[in-house]
Amino acid sequence: MWSTTLWSSQVRAVHTETTSPLLNNTPSPVHVPLRKQLKDEAKKQKALGKKKKKNVNNQVVDGWELTVGIEIHAQLNTARKLFSPATTSFNDDPNSHVAYFDLATPGSQPLFQKETLIPALRAALALNCDIQNVSRFDRKHYFHWDQPSGYQITQYYEPFARDGRILLQARDGIAAEDGDGISVGIKQIQMEQDTAKTLAQPGDVHWIDFNRVGLPLIEIITLPDIHYPATAAALVRKIQALLNATDSCVLGMEAGGLRADVNVSVRRTDDPSTPLGQRTEIKNLSSFKAVEDAIIAERDRQISVLESGGKVESETRGWSIGSTETRRLRGKEGEVDYRYMPDPDLAPVIIDNDLVNHLRDGMGELPDAEIDELIQRFELTPKDALSLVTLDGGNRVEYFWNVVDLLARRFGPNATSPEYLSGYQLAANWILHELGRLTSGRSEDDAQDLGFTEDGQCDRVPAKHLVDILLYLHQRKINAKVAKELLWAVFRRRIPDEYATIETVLDEEQLWFDELNEDEYIKLALEAAEGQEEVVKQFINYKQFPQGKLMFLVGRMIRLGAEERIDPKEAEKVMKRVLEETLVPAIRN
Amino acid sequence: MEGRHPSIQNQGPIEENGQAIRLAVKDNISALGFSTTCASNILAGNNIPFEATIVRQLRQRGSTVTGKAGMDEFGMGTHSTTSAFENIHNVCGLEKYSAGGSSGGSAVAVRKGEAELALGTDTGGSVRMPAAYTGTVGFKPSYGMLSRWGVVPYANSLDTVGILSRTVGPIGAAIIGQNLYLEHDPNDPTSLPSHVRQRCAAERRGYDSWNPGQNGTIQGLTFGIPIEYNIEELDPRIRQGWLTVAQKVEELGGRIVPVSLTSTKNALSAYYVIAPAEASSNLAKYDGIRYGQRNREQASDSFEGILYGKTRETGFGSEVKRRILLGSYTLSSEAMDNYFIQAQKVRRLVRRDFDRVFKLSNPLEDQQPFDLSDMEDTVYLENKFGPAQVDFLLCPTAPTTPPLLEDVMRQTPLDSYMNDVFTVPASLAGLPAISVPMDIPVDPSDEEQKLLSFGGMQLIGQYWDDARLLSVADVLAPHILQQTLF
Repeated sequence: MWSTTLWSSQVRAVHTETTSPLLNNTPSPVHVPLRKQLKDEAKKQKALGKKKKKNVNNQVVDGWELTVGIEIHAQLNTARKLFSPATTSFNDDPNSHVAYFDLATPGSQPLFQKETLIPALRAALALNCDIQNVSRFDRKHYFHWDQPSGYQITQYYEPFARDGRILLQARDGIAAEDGDGISVGIKQIQMEQDTAKTLAQPGDVHWIDFNRVGLPLIEIITLPDIHYPATAAALVRKIQALLNATDSCVLGMEAGGLRADVNVSVRRTDDPSTPLGQRTEIKNLSSFKAVEDAIIAERDRQISVLESGGKVESETRGWSIGSTETRRLRGKEGEVDYRYMPDPDLAPVIIDNDLVNHLRDGMGELPDAEIDELIQRFELTPKDALSLVTLDGGNRVEYFWNVVDLLARRFGPNATSPEYLSGYQLAANWILHELGRLTSGRSEDDAQDLGFTEDGQCDRVPAKHLVDILLYLHQRKINAKVAKELLWAVFRRRIPDEYATIETVLDEEQLWFDELNEDEYIKLALEAAEGQEEVVKQFINYKQFPQGKLMFLVGRMIRLGAEERIDPKEAEKVMKRVLEETLVPAIRN
Repeated sequence: MEGRHPSIQNQGPIEENGQAIRLAVKDNISALGFSTTCASNILAGNNIPFEATIVRQLRQRGSTVTGKAGMDEFGMGTHSTTSAFENIHNVCGLEKYSAGGSSGGSAVAVRKGEAELALGTDTGGSVRMPAAYTGTVGFKPSYGMLSRWGVVPYANSLDTVGILSRTVGPIGAAIIGQNLYLEHDPNDPTSLPSHVRQRCAAERRGYDSWNPGQNGTIQGLTFGIPIEYNIEELDPRIRQGWLTVAQKVEELGGRIVPVSLTSTKNALSAYYVIAPAEASSNLAKYDGIRYGQRNREQASDSFEGILYGKTRETGFGSEVKRRILLGSYTLSSEAMDNYFIQAQKVRRLVRRDFDRVFKLSNPLEDQQPFDLSDMEDTVYLENKFGPAQVDFLLCPTAPTTPPLLEDVMRQTPLDSYMNDVFTVPASLAGLPAISVPMDIPVDPSDEEQKLLSFGGMQLIGQYWDDARLLSVADVLAPHILQQTLF
């Protein structure tokens, strides 16, 4: 009757859909890897012959105001389940971490694991919430095979955190209409249990993995303070970054550790006294893009319903990545009455102010402060600073700091002087972009990542190797091409498998940058311009400097000479000078 | 599990060890080596893979589990007639009569001499009621004293593990003499923590040793007679027995005072809102998938079938379904405020009533003054300081002698709910209570009265006053039962 099996790596995903099969016979949504969703979407778009529309403002519809509130479910980073000492697991064998209570074995009772409070409190503090000294657990009843006790334990009547606030800035990617920034209120945060994972099998068979059942989640409920789709997406992105930064939740949306439900309503802007319109809820959005797209689609649907004289119904809707419309899941008549009841086995949760203060003191730097620091100290663009802080759950920026430390040591006593600024910028640029290239589009498996760790190490590109490469590049002891090849060699573990260090490669393969001297550059430039009189003429009396022609000549230089001895930037400089000082005057005369 | 489920399911020969105490275990309490069915088809043949803490504790203290005892399905009933497997009846000449419920099988096992001790569960009187009907002793401890780990919940906030025996002695010996009262169980979140147990016990007398001769003296104690318990439906013979007991208490040097528990009249309604509400929630887990029985006729989750609709339809009996529906309704968003919330308020009033009449304060509550102006006019004021305060309350366990089973079968559910009117208040307040058999007047010309010559006398104590309650009950018991039942 109940079969389980070994199955290969599956990511655990928050399951927030609570559709009862009694009311709705759609099977519980099965986790589709994000990559596949994106691919399917791309295919669909291609089939439709659509191109991405650019520069069309889809944030506003004239005459209408959009209002959005968001509920975010996130898996807490804990060692044990919420109400049993069973350990949390990621990719372990199915049904290998299950306590009696997790299966609702008769006679078993919930044992609140108070350590789960720590990450929950950190999250609440990062979102500026008031921590409640007393909170309680309630039972939310509905039947589904992934919920063995017939109810989920959550905090309905008295959540542990209320009245928070999150500040979104322009650099967070909010809609331009929100200007420099916007504050979004957090109504409450509650702790609750995750459900079991359903693995759909062919032929109406479902396998259930109870490893996930009872894992601690937090549900973050915002006020309906959001009025633009991009801002909604920015909010979810920022909350994910905050949860990561505080170590509250380790898995992001792309790994299924975070899910969002959005409540959407519209009203006409002509009369500001009109109450908010009827809202609908779109459940289980699994990417930032899905949040934005689903809101746009639902807003447009509601507007067209209202404009054609119809009425927006209170209902729950779904969204598939890549679609253009939300779809109805169930209406008001299909709503489950959850019959919330205080759990009679569970005592109130008493949180002392000392604990809250202790956690607040130990919070460390939150992403916004870190982004500010990156911008000020290294003059990074806000976009790069934000990316650096957000990528890999905050691990990448830790890696950056480690690289900065090592570089500074190599730069010596004046490491903070402006002359080295470009060195740190080079590091940021490489850590963001060159490292990104190593894994992009090469592998089907996301697990083949760079292996960043919380303490800022990188399994595939150890910091000490990267620092060697960056230092030599900055000192112009190697050229960019060699530098990139070295990075690949590190990534493929040829360093240290075949060559002990960067220096060994450079020595053995003679890859040090033995740059041409001034005379050799000039000679090469003259050689490259030979027979190119028509091109050279372009440099007499031009309206706009013919940069393209210059680069053409530089290209010839590089092809004629020993490429590994040429720095393209230097070649460009020399060619420009030779043109101005020698070639052009020669033609004029 | 196949066929009938006997009221006692024997497992091999009982040890002929003179020391071994034979223990019958209600079938909603897990004992390794036995199935645990809660007398429900939905759990037929079910084995709980771990042992209830209370069973382990009693085994460690020399008990041998002799079998599982029948009951009302999931503890829901007053006469042990809602079992899916058997009809439990009274014994020793009273076979046509109700044995009480829901721990009827446990009481019968003790009454028949098949066990010295029996474990039951008492949610609203389920141990005390069968004790009263079978002439045995039934003890419901303070909520949180005995662990519920391994006990299948009916209504968690009310459920307690209770103990039945022929006399008070073995119960007192286990709870006090063998220190059961002291043992916190980390597996049960409602088990009182050790330091709270110690604090509570320090405020009480009688926990040093099981020594009823010394601790159980009636002399100087005050017993309250709740005037609200003198209801119209009270069998005149039970009322007479009650009065006789009161006289005995006075003869023994105790003092009898009338007290008023004004919220009593609402307690029963509150109980029948709260208990079914919790039950509807607790019983949601029975879907026949992970354990228990599954109805495979329509076991699919396809469009026509609902995954566990049929299993729950055929797996539960009618009383269980009634309470699930009742509970689901009172928890529904439209009824919640009018039923569940109101019932919880009544529950607080009931506890407050008790706290007001007992001399001892409730160690789990902040001490609160009772303003005389808040009291209803019916409350007897002893002097200008207010009404008399008491050590124990004295009242019948059941309003009648055990009814004929054939009458029970004709009763409406409401009639049988009425039987719990005297037992429910202590459950709502989490207080210790004990039912001991008492003589009631018999008309020698009435054959039925000659058979039904006893009733159940209930003593209720303040929270964690279990030790004194047991001692006093032990001392009082022989004085109020002159006849030999066993």
